[in-house]
Amino acid sequence: MDFLVTEEERAFKKEVEDFVQEVLREVLPPDWKGVDPGPEEEEREDVFPLAAEVWHRLGTRGWIGLNWPKEYGGQDSLAKDWILKEELIYWGIPGMDPAVVQGDLILAFGTEEQKERFIPPIARGEVKYAIGMSEPNVGSDMFALQLKAEEKEDCYVFNGQKIWNTGIHHADWCVVYTRTDPNAPKKSHGISVFIIDPRSPGITLRQITQMTGLDAFCEVFYDDVRVPKENLLGEKNKGKDVSMHAFAIERTYGLVILHNARRYFDQLVQYCKETQVNGQPLSKDPLIRHRLAEMAIEIEVGRNMGERINWMISQGMITVVPSCQNKIHGARVAQDLSNLGMQILGPYGQLDEKSKWAQLGGRMRHMYLSSRAWSLAGGTSEMSRNIIAGRYGLGLPS
Amino acid sequence: MDLAFSEEQEMLAKSAREFLANKCPKTLVREMEEDERGYPPELWREMAELGWLGLPFPEKYEGGGFSFLDLVVLMEEMGRACLPGPFLSTVVLGGLPIAEWGTEEQKRHLLPLISKGEAILTMAIIELRARYDAASIKTTAVSDGDDYLISGTKLFVPDAHIADWVICVTRTAETSNPEEGITLFLVDAKSPGISTVLFSTIAGDKQCELTLEKVRVPQKNMLGERGGGWGMLQRIIEWAALAKCAEMVGGDQQVMEITTDYAKERIQFGRPIGSFQIIQHYLADMSIDVDSARVTLYKAAWKLSEGLPCTNEVSVAKGWISEAYRRVVTQAHQIHGAIGFTKDHDLELYFRRAKAGELFFGDADYHREIVAQQLGL
Repeated sequence: MDFLVTEEERAFKKEVEDFVQEVLREVLPPDWKGVDPGPEEEEREDVFPLAAEVWHRLGTRGWIGLNWPKEYGGQDSLAKDWILKEELIYWGIPGMDPAVVQGDLILAFGTEEQKERFIPPIARGEVKYAIGMSEPNVGSDMFALQLKAEEKEDCYVFNGQKIWNTGIHHADWCVVYTRTDPNAPKKSHGISVFIIDPRSPGITLRQITQMTGLDAFCEVFYDDVRVPKENLLGEKNKGKDVSMHAFAIERTYGLVILHNARRYFDQLVQYCKETQVNGQPLSKDPLIRHRLAEMAIEIEVGRNMGERINWMISQGMITVVPSCQNKIHGARVAQDLSNLGMQILGPYGQLDEKSKWAQLGGRMRHMYLSSRAWSLAGGTSEMSRNIIAGRYGLGLPS
Repeated sequence: MDLAFSEEQEMLAKSAREFLANKCPKTLVREMEEDERGYPPELWREMAELGWLGLPFPEKYEGGGFSFLDLVVLMEEMGRACLPGPFLSTVVLGGLPIAEWGTEEQKRHLLPLISKGEAILTMAIIELRARYDAASIKTTAVSDGDDYLISGTKLFVPDAHIADWVICVTRTAETSNPEEGITLFLVDAKSPGISTVLFSTIAGDKQCELTLEKVRVPQKNMLGERGGGWGMLQRIIEWAALAKCAEMVGGDQQVMEITTDYAKERIQFGRPIGSFQIIQHYLADMSIDVDSARVTLYKAAWKLSEGLPCTNEVSVAKGWISEAYRRVVTQAHQIHGAIGFTKDHDLELYFRRAKAGELFFGDADYHREIVAQQLGL
């Protein structure tokens, strides 16, 4: 057993660190405090163009889809893909688009034609993707989805509604989960997945404001929307396989949350070292030392769990259970950390970044709000516990 | 990175589990809690024959030449079995410091005796304040000709009542910096002036009060340099904390397994209680504690084995595992209900050991302070 990092990985990490410095210097404003990973914060007017620029630069470097096969512009390296993501997330660099993960799906289920059509623009950092899964009556019970896709002679016709589709109003493509067979014997059957153009006639988008104040969610109404047959991803009525795969490749979600939290944590530690209260730095207060150390331990433990998951993935092992464990842990850590940060900042914690009195760029307040989503998105912590308890994990009876 | 056990580690874990399942049933564990000696000599001899007692020592001193990480793999199985006896005291607290800092003569003399199961060792650190800090070390070692005279009272010394040798942490000089002037001595436990009183502890393990009254120790029994003891002690606490973590992770895993099995079998309201979502979620959360504890232990133990700086990793591990194990075994009791509350059930053995393990070589608060220092707070 060893936890060694290879020379190649070390060298690539250095390259990525240089890239991060380049982006911090040339693209991002001075004193950058970072943003959460994911498309939500692209709703900030000042962040959107920065994200686009970084996405483009990643494409120019050939760093989008590093885990993809070489023939599709990748380097066949899970390790490098993860090193890149870890650094970008830790520094809070915007721009890594959900297109990467959707590219993974297209490579797994797409036809040769689809791969040739959809993958190169992603690899170049030119297109943005969104995901259309949830519906008003479909949250955790995702196989209950209703959005109807009816096969006609020359196309599929969509009617129905999706909700909580983050960033679809900026996206060039959306991977949408639909019902193609309403009479299927099981509700998990009869589902099909499509890659759709959100600007198609008949689609109406309505933005929904999240509790962070960002208008990142969309409600999406489909009214006789015609989707070309060649946009079907995977087999008709076999969308369950695609959705299971989509959940499986979200397996580093916990680590994503943790690396993001690590940045906020380091900023908070710095704040405690620099802030004087009653003639001594906050960092000398035993209660604060204790609580920060507790957080540091929980973050480190989560990283260890994540390292194991990445290693398991590299060995082709099934990681459903450890991924669920790490996601639950990561969300809890991020939520506890943001609460601790709010308490340490005291009344200052209430202010947003626009106030001249805001501390740490108002980011702790943002995280306190945004971290609520981390135990919900990508499968709630309760669904994760169900999975751990079930046949892939503890094998408890249903 | 390769997080799988090596073939040797796989063999070691498997054979240890089988051996202990066979030779260390819970009846023996309970018997040894009541037994004053606290270990069966026959089993100790068999462990020596298996090479366990010399596992991490160099081969030239009749050791096995295995790494600290390998030792952790073995001790995980010992924790799973609640193995009673002075293994940690002898091998980790006694043997490892000798292997690291002993003179050639000390190593040649004691390491083979340990490996062969012919000497039981321990270390006396804690005093009245019951803390692992330098300032609380008051036991004195005063130079007297070619010897030193050691006087003081040590508490919570594991297995001192059966030890042949005690590594005694003493103060040889008093300066304004309490970390200076600490010196370690190898003390023959049969020396005049030594007495022990056995405590009755929560986990039924054997810890003692050790009193030293002008105990004469020859200069050549000094371990390491005069006044250099605090640096050594910090290292020793790291070894001991991780070794204890290994036992705790093994226990943790066993508790997880017996509780999962129980949830599958126990019928209430006409169905196994494991089919109720609340029980499933309890168990899911327990599994997070168990699995995260193990990888965190291995990470720290690997770094320690490689000679890499690991102060932070060790404290992360002991800080986390101390509380994670307690959460697991507490929840396990809730799931077991009344049967787990009985003296006959295995669970109570683990519950008591989890608390003792927490307190051993720094509880979570102690290690959080080290992590805080590592953060530069």
